[in-house]
Amino acid sequence: MRALHALAVLLLLAVVILPAAAGAPPSRVPTNVLVIGTVISDSVSLDPAQAFEFSTTWVANHLYDTLVDFSRDFSRVVPRLATSWTASSDLKTYTFRLRSAKFHSGNPVTAQAVAFSIQRVFALKMAPSFIVTDFIKAPSDVVAVGNDQVRVTFVQPMPEILMACVLANPVTSVVDPAVVRRNSPADDPQGNKWLTDHDAGSGPYVLIGWNRNLKIEMRGFDDYWRGRPRMGRIFMQDMPEPTAQLLALQQGDIDVAMNLLPGQFKQISAQPGFQVKATPTFGLRYLAMNVGFEPFSKPQVRNAVKYALDYEAIKRLYEDTIDAGQTIVPAGMFAHLKDRPFQKNLDRARALMREGGYERGFKAELMVPVGVDPPLPDVATKMKEDLAQIGIDVDVKVLRNADILAVYRAQKHQLAIQRWGADYPDPDNLAKAFADFDSRVLAWRNQWDNPVKAKVKQAVLERDPAKRAALYAEIQKTVLDEGPFAIFAYPLRQIAMRTNVKGVDPSPLFQTYDLSNATKE
Amino acid sequence: MWAYVVRRLMLASIAIFGVLVIVFVLSHVIPGDPVAAILGGQAREEVIEAVRRRWGLDRPLYEQFFLFVIRLAHGDLGTSLATNRPVIVDLRAFFPATIELATTAIVIGAATGVAVGIISAVAHGKLIDHVVRFLSLIGLSMPVFWLGLILLLLLYARLGWLPGPGQLDIFVSRPPHVTGLITIDALLARDFSSLGNAVRHLILPAVVLGSHALVGIARITRASMLEVLGQDYVKVARAKGLAERTVILRHALKNALLPIITVIGIYYGGLLEGAVLTETVFAWPGLGRYATNAILSQDFAAIMGVTILIALIFSFANLIVDLAYGLLNPKIRYE
Repeated sequence: MRALHALAVLLLLAVVILPAAAGAPPSRVPTNVLVIGTVISDSVSLDPAQAFEFSTTWVANHLYDTLVDFSRDFSRVVPRLATSWTASSDLKTYTFRLRSAKFHSGNPVTAQAVAFSIQRVFALKMAPSFIVTDFIKAPSDVVAVGNDQVRVTFVQPMPEILMACVLANPVTSVVDPAVVRRNSPADDPQGNKWLTDHDAGSGPYVLIGWNRNLKIEMRGFDDYWRGRPRMGRIFMQDMPEPTAQLLALQQGDIDVAMNLLPGQFKQISAQPGFQVKATPTFGLRYLAMNVGFEPFSKPQVRNAVKYALDYEAIKRLYEDTIDAGQTIVPAGMFAHLKDRPFQKNLDRARALMREGGYERGFKAELMVPVGVDPPLPDVATKMKEDLAQIGIDVDVKVLRNADILAVYRAQKHQLAIQRWGADYPDPDNLAKAFADFDSRVLAWRNQWDNPVKAKVKQAVLERDPAKRAALYAEIQKTVLDEGPFAIFAYPLRQIAMRTNVKGVDPSPLFQTYDLSNATKE
Repeated sequence: MWAYVVRRLMLASIAIFGVLVIVFVLSHVIPGDPVAAILGGQAREEVIEAVRRRWGLDRPLYEQFFLFVIRLAHGDLGTSLATNRPVIVDLRAFFPATIELATTAIVIGAATGVAVGIISAVAHGKLIDHVVRFLSLIGLSMPVFWLGLILLLLLYARLGWLPGPGQLDIFVSRPPHVTGLITIDALLARDFSSLGNAVRHLILPAVVLGSHALVGIARITRASMLEVLGQDYVKVARAKGLAERTVILRHALKNALLPIITVIGIYYGGLLEGAVLTETVFAWPGLGRYATNAILSQDFAAIMGVTILIALIFSFANLIVDLAYGLLNPKIRYE
């Protein structure tokens, strides 16, 4: 027993005294294999018509091809399965010419397959289907012309970028109709269950397998039209605990870590042999104020809240992993407005409370989700402290996001902290959500029905980029000055990796850009 | 005895049905919207409505329960909203990982716990007894999560003696599926390198998970042994000049075993429910994370599936403990 005790003491001492390995121990992963430590437990389905989570859209983008793609800066549309396209003069109809490409099954990619895939989205009506159905009225509006041309008719004029928001989105990925039909039993005519953990794509990678809560494994597709990807195999290994992910990266069991804590990113970036890459994302964190709750029906009170918050302190709670932007169109996206008029100004805030008729303050309940974004509950506590200074007595309720969403969608909240990630990289997505009451998303949930919604409908139809940008600037200004949202963060996406890993870059839209150019030295 | 077993099984099925009713009602009346939970905050209202209809969540509660029971009678646990797969497939995927981990943990916990408890009882009041009691107090109050991270840091990152998170090294392929238990399947396939790899991966999480059981079992063993060691028949055994070893193991321990077996049974049942923190630290694809995810997303079918499984486990664990009493003490009669 004494020996055991001594051993325990020795082990403990070892933890404390042994120096951390200087530099990086050699990687245990061969150079033609990439192992990514990440969280895949949110994954519901890899069927592109259903995939809507961070992990599944990211993976689907490797298993499948879309007709077109975005340039890396999201400013241009570039070819993918379509080599070229022409638009009608009213920009409502696009005709695409397909390249010669093969599905993983060996079948050729045809115009019929493209039409079949988009029609499937209508039939299944899953979470991401609105990205298609908002812009294409009926399945019959996607037509195969011969074997190598597809004609898509939209409900409205579509500038090229907006067209790509639909046809570069993973939801319009092209699936192999023969394979899908072969795996569609009578009670599941679209093969949705089978496609949940199988692939029928033509993308750079072929799905080897998905062991839930364990790993997703893919191999390079030999017959890919762009040539076989340089990285032969990719593993996405589920590691829900950030510290375990950090240790595995340091030990060389994984090449890339996606989910470290802010402090750990700082720590690893200082360690030789490792690097951290970051990008702004097309996402937001915001405080929602329900206009249906009496005090927030007064625009002065809403602005008093915006002036009472300490945005710098919130940024510190995030350990500087956010950009404290305030407009609804995030930085890096077309027509982003840089205005950040709200800084903590208690005199101004108190004056606004007086103007709004609430100089004696009021009580309000603030719902904040747990487990969504770790600093959020602390942000809520900080907001409670800030708002107390202008007489708003905030009762913070930390809840599961599912519970908050039920209340939020029923318009029964008073204050709620929530997040939004762009479904497609165009300001229309944000404008519809935050400014168009009729879209029944965020403006509707907060019962804010503002005439600016007409501009939202106008902007999406505008063909002149300069005029379009001007319209979005106006919409952003209106939401900023009058809206029921106090936007406080554009999150950054950081990923940590070994320095020998090249071509793995975080993307504002997906977890990373296409990994088929990744290499290791 | 068989009549007793049958009666116990019938009672258990009534209890399980009761548990089902309670869990079903509870999980439906708490606020929250499973469809919104799965689809997230950005889904459109019409999609949410469509999904709700597709899954029958727009029907009245009694109707949903009725449908659930009918399907259950056909052996269908329904489909999980969160994984888009039949719940039975999910349970088959996740439960073996938990069985493997829980069994290793309870073996470690029971073997060490009983030994430590005996030593402590025999050395009652001496230094070693105090040390054991002190360490067990620390063991009880040490968060599993923290212990897991410390051991990972030490034995994986610093010393490199044991592998990191996961059930197998990522390049080691799983042996062909027979039981779903990787160690057993590897043994059946005579794939000894996979077996070795799986065992090495099992050690850390099993030690962490077993540590709480170890402490609990050690404390009960000590208390139970102390009580027995004071009995007259132990004095008689000693007076007869029997070796101390025989006195402790044959005369004392055998009589002290009843409460120990009960505690081991309860711990094992608890471990089989899965352990979300240990599974999270060690990236273990077990029942704990599946159940937690099901609860967080109000995935009713999955919640009910896990409930049935856990209710079955506890009923059987209790039954086996009760039957073990009879083996240990022939005076116990089943009526």
